Amino acid sequence: MEIQIKGFLETSLLDWPGKLTAVLFLPGCNFRCPYCHNHSLVIHPERFETIPLEYILMRLKGLKGWIDGVCVTGGEPTLTPQLPLLLEEIKNEGWAIKLDTNGTFPDRIKELIERNLVDCVAMDIKAPLDSIAYSRCAGVSVDIPVIRKSISVLGNGGVDYSFRMTVVPSLLTEEQVYEAALQLVGMRGLLLQDFNPSDPLGPGLRGIEPFGEMRLQRMQERVDAIVGQRGDSYSQPTTRGRGYPLQRMNSSIGRRL
Amino acid sequence: MGKIGESEALRRDNETTDMALFVRTSDEQFSDWDRQRIVDALIRETEIDLLSAQEISREVEELIASSNISMVTSPLIRELVDAKLIERGLERERKRHTRLGMPLYDVDQLILHPNKENANVPHGPEATNLTLAERIKKEYALLSVFSEEVADAHMRGDIHLHDLGFIDRPYCSGQSLDYIKRFGLSLPNSIAMAKPAKHAEVLLAHMVKFAAALQSHFAGAIGWDAVNLFFAPYLEGMRDEEVKQLAQMMIFEFSQQAVARGGQAIFTDLNLYWEIPRHFEDVQAIGPMGKYTGKTYSQYEHEAQRFAWFLFEVFREGDGSGRPFFFPKPLVHITEKFFGTLGHGDFLHHICEVASEKGNTYFVFDRGETAKVSECCRLSFKLEASDLEDAKQPWKMRYCALQNVTLNLPRIGYLSGGDDRILFEKVQEFMDMAVRAHLEKKVFIEKLLSHGENGPLALLAMKRDESPYLRMHRASYLIGMVGLNELVQIHTGKQMSVSKEAFKFGLKVIAHMKLLADQLSRRYGMHFVLEQTPAESTAYRFAKLDLQYHWQKAQRVIKGDIPRGEIYYTNSTYLNNGAVMNPIERVRQEGLFHPLIEAGALTHIWLGEAKPSRESLANFVIKTFTQTQNDQIAFSPEFTTCNSCNRTSRGLAEICGYCGSRDVDGITRITGYFTRISSWNKGKIGELHDRYRNQGFLRAEGGNRGYEGEMAELVSV
Repeated sequence: MEIQIKGFLETSLLDWPGKLTAVLFLPGCNFRCPYCHNHSLVIHPERFETIPLEYILMRLKGLKGWIDGVCVTGGEPTLTPQLPLLLEEIKNEGWAIKLDTNGTFPDRIKELIERNLVDCVAMDIKAPLDSIAYSRCAGVSVDIPVIRKSISVLGNGGVDYSFRMTVVPSLLTEEQVYEAALQLVGMRGLLLQDFNPSDPLGPGLRGIEPFGEMRLQRMQERVDAIVGQRGDSYSQPTTRGRGYPLQRMNSSIGRRL
Repeated sequence: MGKIGESEALRRDNETTDMALFVRTSDEQFSDWDRQRIVDALIRETEIDLLSAQEISREVEELIASSNISMVTSPLIRELVDAKLIERGLERERKRHTRLGMPLYDVDQLILHPNKENANVPHGPEATNLTLAERIKKEYALLSVFSEEVADAHMRGDIHLHDLGFIDRPYCSGQSLDYIKRFGLSLPNSIAMAKPAKHAEVLLAHMVKFAAALQSHFAGAIGWDAVNLFFAPYLEGMRDEEVKQLAQMMIFEFSQQAVARGGQAIFTDLNLYWEIPRHFEDVQAIGPMGKYTGKTYSQYEHEAQRFAWFLFEVFREGDGSGRPFFFPKPLVHITEKFFGTLGHGDFLHHICEVASEKGNTYFVFDRGETAKVSECCRLSFKLEASDLEDAKQPWKMRYCALQNVTLNLPRIGYLSGGDDRILFEKVQEFMDMAVRAHLEKKVFIEKLLSHGENGPLALLAMKRDESPYLRMHRASYLIGMVGLNELVQIHTGKQMSVSKEAFKFGLKVIAHMKLLADQLSRRYGMHFVLEQTPAESTAYRFAKLDLQYHWQKAQRVIKGDIPRGEIYYTNSTYLNNGAVMNPIERVRQEGLFHPLIEAGALTHIWLGEAKPSRESLANFVIKTFTQTQNDQIAFSPEFTTCNSCNRTSRGLAEICGYCGSRDVDGITRITGYFTRISSWNKGKIGELHDRYRNQGFLRAEGGNRGYEGEMAELVSV
């Protein structure tokens, strides 16, 4: 059966910090997160055209030298049976791959890592690792040990990875966000993203006011302090401070004079 | 003056006049009726013979007498006289006798309601003054400065003469700080003369005042070359906090100058360099008190970089409520040398962070040996050999564009009926008309300048070095275009974003225009250059006029929402704003036009609410430099600012994300600058709805875009 690729964004500045990427969207998901903003892709994938893989590979060829890799997202891409095949095809063209996942299939993730089919994995952390909170945020019952296993697969896997969490005021308290952060100590950072109330899956969330930019920034700072790494630090080898690099500049002047 | 004193009234009673009639004159006086005044005015202004003048005056007198009115105004008398001139078929004389002014109703509306032609004009008494003055000067320009043919071409909308309300000024100006560093602030009409600045703060004060003086002598942008470098000699010994303070002062000064001409912020461009531009490396630096410091500018790299860095720190923080600064605009020049300069990576990330967070940064790409000075929305001048000679004495580097004339390209499409030959003939015809307009404006400005330092353009005539401030021989004359995309759509049936053939045809049209501009430059010994007109209101005006004159064809290609009147043509050589197109492709394809458009070009990347990492933007910028011919890019985020709680959030929203108020306003880039969306004209609102923000990636099943066709086209390339 043809691989069901339902969406194709040729260039994204957002999906792999530091890189320019193409993005492929695969249909279906085993979660029903009430804040999901891609829900038509999750619930009614048949409403969208399937884009032929050859077409995508051909378009990607034209972007050689410009984009740095391909991001495969969804839905939940690990549900697509031919995912390894798809990644292989993309790899064969020489592209780096980033995979987005909710972490419910640790063995599949492990296999992809072992077969060198992914270069970076971004995993969603929905809530602190207790089944009540997690299931509430995911909209379905979630087996926590499975999530834990995915986290450790990434920790030991030898690929670049990141965690991110969408925060919705009515689903998670600030304290719960920090609790989740505490469970990731020693790992790469946890990147928070605010919830977008414009068209969520759960009608109950419509009109819920997001945390807002300023509050989110404060929360991110605290999360960074707890985890011990910046949430957006995984992307680039160089983590630069925000200050003016006076030290380096002075030395450069010194050398010339 | 305006009141009649008792004695005067008495005197009037005793006097015997032909008519017991008062005239309200324009000099705030009542005058008695005096027919001779009509005769005098007619002879003075229209040069008709005495007999005709007397006859007309008698006829007008009879008309007024028979109407039994007791008070007339002098404008009314003038209109009545004009009617008599028309009766006699004296059209030329009537034109010369015309009175310029505005109906009462219009003035009332103007004072009460904001002007949307230029979103950089606020609403207030100063702005109203500006608009009133502009109206009269515009009429004056069309009646008296330009020939009837040129004026009519403008009125019809074949071409657009920009800034007619500023007919007595050149268009825009670019200069170096070294002029005021060397000569101080000594303006022809100023009552005090300031010697060259000793301190950085004073230099800034001089810069701001000089900018304001220039704003009142130019219609458009005021650009400053290598601002951080020319400030550098003043920054030695200053602590970091002090340099940041200075950066803050500079940005706030220019962003809050909305107290100057017409309440308009000065359209200020700050050109910035991380490296020392090659042409300034060995130039002797001017420092405090206008004296040479004994060092060359290349020895000030550290100070220049420090200042540039802090300027962008201020831009990143935004104004007092976190909004992006609308002005000044920072343009960072990216050159080969940039990448060879220490610390460029950090600086690139720094300015990319500002681009992502606030959108201010313009990335100007000077590839190879070209050096450019940027002004206005995207106007820039490539420095030529003679300029590089001037660069050794940077105060000499003063450039201007005298006028901007834009061609209505879709109109050419309607007129040529699909015939290539007619189309290119029409292009030539429109170009010739634009050149004619330039010649006429040049004659007018030269007339004003001929009065020298006692004349109306004293500031531009002042000679602090061997030549006047305005160097006419170095002036450029801009020829812009609007709606190439629609021209191509009418002519080939397809838009440039969907068909390679259509795109190629678009390139051919612009290449032809460039060729013509070069030929005309040689013929007239003037510098005609193509420019991407910002066309903030012109794209709207042309669309409206074409809907009127060419309804049948125009309605099929005009962009926006026709029933709502939110219509526009795609700006300059841009691809359709709404085309689903990846930003790389847009930068690459639009960039193919840029080498043909000498006076500068720009590609917009609309970010919407997305906030990419600085590393991703830096990545994009580097690749744009190395892999395309694109001259300039800017990333434009969108914001919502709340009028109730004064906070600003990302994205365009109808409700404030912080306090829930509905009293909010959007902010984003209109053409070459940021502004509040509530001030936009309808055409630009239409464009805003259409802007593609890199968001569409799903296609509904059963859509009619087959992949097979597209793949076939890909294979054929």
